Amino acid sequence: MDYFFQQLINGLTLGGVYALVALGYTMVYGIIQLINFAHGEIFAAGGYLGVILLSYMASQGLMDSHPWFGLAFALILAMGYCAMLAMAVEKVAYKPLRQSSRLSVLLSALGMSIFLQNGLMLTQGVYDKAYPTEFTHGGFEWLGVRVSFMQIGILLVTTLLLVLLNTLVFRTRIGKAMRATAQDKVMSALVGIHSDKVISTTFAIGAALAAAAGIMVGLYYGSVRYDMGFVPGIKAFAAAVLGGIGNITGAMIGGLIIGMVEILAAAYIPAGGEYKDVFAFVILIGVLYFMPTGIMGENVDDTRV
Amino acid sequence: MSAKRVILTLVAMCLMAGTATAATLKIGSLSPLTGSYAADGNDIANGARAAIAAIEKEGGIPGFDKIELFAEDDACDPRQAVAAANKLVNEKVVGVVGAYCSSATIPASETLAEADIPMLTPASTSEKVTERGLPYMFRVCGRDDDQSIAAMKFIKDMLAAKTIYIVDDKTTYSQGLADNVEKLANKEGLKVIAHDHVNQGDKDFSAVLTKIKDAKPDVLYMSLQNSASGALMLIQAKRAGVTAAIIGQDAVYHPQLMEIAKDAAEGMYLTFGYIDEETPSYKKFLAAYEKFGKPGAYSAYSYDAAYSLLSAIKAAKSTDPAKIKAELIKGEMQGASKKIKFQANGESGSNYIIRVVKDGKFANFWDPQTGKKY
Repeated sequence: MDYFFQQLINGLTLGGVYALVALGYTMVYGIIQLINFAHGEIFAAGGYLGVILLSYMASQGLMDSHPWFGLAFALILAMGYCAMLAMAVEKVAYKPLRQSSRLSVLLSALGMSIFLQNGLMLTQGVYDKAYPTEFTHGGFEWLGVRVSFMQIGILLVTTLLLVLLNTLVFRTRIGKAMRATAQDKVMSALVGIHSDKVISTTFAIGAALAAAAGIMVGLYYGSVRYDMGFVPGIKAFAAAVLGGIGNITGAMIGGLIIGMVEILAAAYIPAGGEYKDVFAFVILIGVLYFMPTGIMGENVDDTRV
Repeated sequence: MSAKRVILTLVAMCLMAGTATAATLKIGSLSPLTGSYAADGNDIANGARAAIAAIEKEGGIPGFDKIELFAEDDACDPRQAVAAANKLVNEKVVGVVGAYCSSATIPASETLAEADIPMLTPASTSEKVTERGLPYMFRVCGRDDDQSIAAMKFIKDMLAAKTIYIVDDKTTYSQGLADNVEKLANKEGLKVIAHDHVNQGDKDFSAVLTKIKDAKPDVLYMSLQNSASGALMLIQAKRAGVTAAIIGQDAVYHPQLMEIAKDAAEGMYLTFGYIDEETPSYKKFLAAYEKFGKPGAYSAYSYDAAYSLLSAIKAAKSTDPAKIKAELIKGEMQGASKKIKFQANGESGSNYIIRVVKDGKFANFWDPQTGKKY
């Protein structure tokens, strides 16, 4: 039984990571129906900024005296930096193509993804970069199930950001503007909503979440690498679709399901370890076949999402 | 194009070709400079660069002003390896150091063989590399079959293990070694609890490690073709509470293993060619390699490959492949990685020993030949 619960914890952690990245995908899609393939690279950039900041602080001895302060500082700085990076990406690669066909924007997003990944490789090198992880190694064992503080941390941060995001979207002015723009860009512009600004803000918020995810993942696994954004990007995209793309709670649930399916397939199905991605995507296809809008998606017509 | 322009272009090309080959000795390197294996691939290119620097410091090769390295990226992909090999043929290199993946070395070597260009691989351990009978194919590292024999000897004689759990990441290298170990274990009467596969590039191994913790094997044979993946598995194994002895192979031999895994790497065993760090040739290698950072798994092998090639050219006073081959086979050289004595089939012999991670460093641990600890 402890074996099952241990695998459950493993699945929840992995799912939490996917969910954090999926939030950004789903928000951007909700507003401008763009699958932002460069999102995974923003996540990687966040991870790299985290390792640079934390290593610097560790070398100054700050991580020994005030580890949690240092971590919060790195998180905030990386989130801010990635928000600006994403806004720049939006300005360069997506805004000029806003009136073009969806295919052009999609290709532009793919190109941006490759550009950013190579940029990371050229500036940061091809080697993995190690996180100073001494202060995150702790954990506890309860009835034979090991839980590390980082696993709890990932789930806590994911839940916290989900709540914050929901509050932002449903309780604030900018949230209202975002929902209005998502519904009808032209009409909301006519009633005085600055849609470019709203879109920019959406990118920034999504990127900040991705940066947080990058740092959490770096701390959890102990290292970052220039191509680390690709696989979680694809999985998170799948999670967003599974949850009903455009729906924030759906992205979280989708992420947890994909993470859980991967781990449980590897744990209980013979040769599951090598085919775990297959199982995750079979579930995705199955759900989309029977529930075309995803788990939490509403059935809407083309004019509003 | 008018006749005049054709003639002018031809003249210009002749002039360019003339100046380029005047006094530059060109050698090539093939390795994955991008992609998952970029770390090892860059080590290989840097090892060759270090050998060139060392040879030039010793007075260079008579008849040539300088030695130039053409480092090509094969991305560990058979097609790209052939394209890169063709590029090196067009550059008229006299010898090639590489490649890294056996699956890239084999097709590239066929291309180079057509142009009679000697190829010395510092890293491809597959038996097939030398068993095809190519006249100018040499290998500086050891062979897979020897490596798995050394590992199994250690598991049986030194650790006295009864049960073993095998994990590989499905690359030709890692799966080949893992299959060999499984076969040997069955022959030796060890119980193979399971042979699981993960995917190359996976970051999360928690599911399989929880399985391993539950199965309580004496030994975990961790067959991963990347030091960074190895580090991730070590961290997660410690976190999951796996107590089995962990044995890896030469592909995880890299300083970044300890940089990432830190104390989780302590006590991990791996099979690796014996290195005597006290020999003058190793010290010479370290001095030449210094500007590229700490040497990785294949830096010394690549340095030795390039150094042997250049020494052979120097001794032969010619870039004729047959003469280079004759010199390579004739000589015996104390390299940075090992004592190198090429046989007619291109092998230089394996010298696998067991190393252990101790205090954040790789240390010689056990010799399978003598069965003694260092």
